[in-house]
Amino acid sequence: MYSSLVRLQNTFGFFTTVAFVIAAFIAASDFASPRAPSVATLKTTSLQVVRGRPHYYSSKKEEYAIIKFSLDANLSSLFTWNTKQVFVYVTAEWPSSGAEGNATNQAVIWDTIITAPSADHLSNLGPASLKKLRKSAAGKSIDPSRGLISLKNQKPKYQITHPSGKIAETQDVRLRLHYNVQPWVGVLAWNQNVDYGRWKRLKGDLSKKFALPALKTKAATTGAAGTGTKA
Amino acid sequence: MADQILDQIRTAVEGQIDFEGQKLAELIANVALSLVGAIAFFVGYLLQDIKLAVWTALGGTALTFLVVVPAWPFYNQNPVKWLSAGKALDLSNLVVNEKAAR
Repeated sequence: MYSSLVRLQNTFGFFTTVAFVIAAFIAASDFASPRAPSVATLKTTSLQVVRGRPHYYSSKKEEYAIIKFSLDANLSSLFTWNTKQVFVYVTAEWPSSGAEGNATNQAVIWDTIITAPSADHLSNLGPASLKKLRKSAAGKSIDPSRGLISLKNQKPKYQITHPSGKIAETQDVRLRLHYNVQPWVGVLAWNQNVDYGRWKRLKGDLSKKFALPALKTKAATTGAAGTGTKA
Repeated sequence: MADQILDQIRTAVEGQIDFEGQKLAELIANVALSLVGAIAFFVGYLLQDIKLAVWTALGGTALTFLVVVPAWPFYNQNPVKWLSAGKALDLSNLVVNEKAAR
């Protein structure tokens, strides 16, 4: 500590140590706060299977499914002071038929990022929506009410296909809700199947089984529905 | 003239302090940063606000740097008492390498 430079270096070194210890405590504090996420409703409202190009740049025509759904979930307990954002996604899953073995087919149909107020500046929104988002938190440092999701007849973000190119009349399909809590510091956690201490598993995350419908046999099927590609 | 100014700058930047001052500086740095860390965590945890915790920690650290890094006068209260030049050794009977001298 004999010169200013040495004092600067030593103090900074201890500062980084203290910062690391604080981060460790903050990460540990996550385990002390209970998590009890639940889903009230998760059901499909409209099912459709179309034969065409699923995406604008798809080179071949195949069958793709459009699954509209309703979702009522309470993920508010996932938002603590250490939560940066929560990634929520809905997948459609169904068991494969005997020829494919024991695999479960799973495809994401919809997802969203819910930021905590401390991370609003990182969200992918334009200035107007960002201002609205910040206002909605009303100056609070954490806002668990952002974890309340209510979607009615939500259009899916993604159309799903199967590698075989056929997805019509698939049986025993279910929707499942997943979440991924992304903290400021600490463990990255997904929805769990068992209870870990104060963190309870997601209740009601599976919808009832449903079957995808057959292709619509319309006379004038000219390639990709809803896209502008030439037939 | 330029030499003198440069000397002054060098002394100021070097920031030399005596040994007692160094012990004090190290003690202040460790205690202050630990306290800042504890306060920042509890403030953040009780108010459930992580941004506040971060800003508190950074502010407290900046303050600590301000107190510890420059050579403040209170770090120089116990200067080393050097012996005066020429008085320490009696050089009149000093013989070096007695064997070779014979």
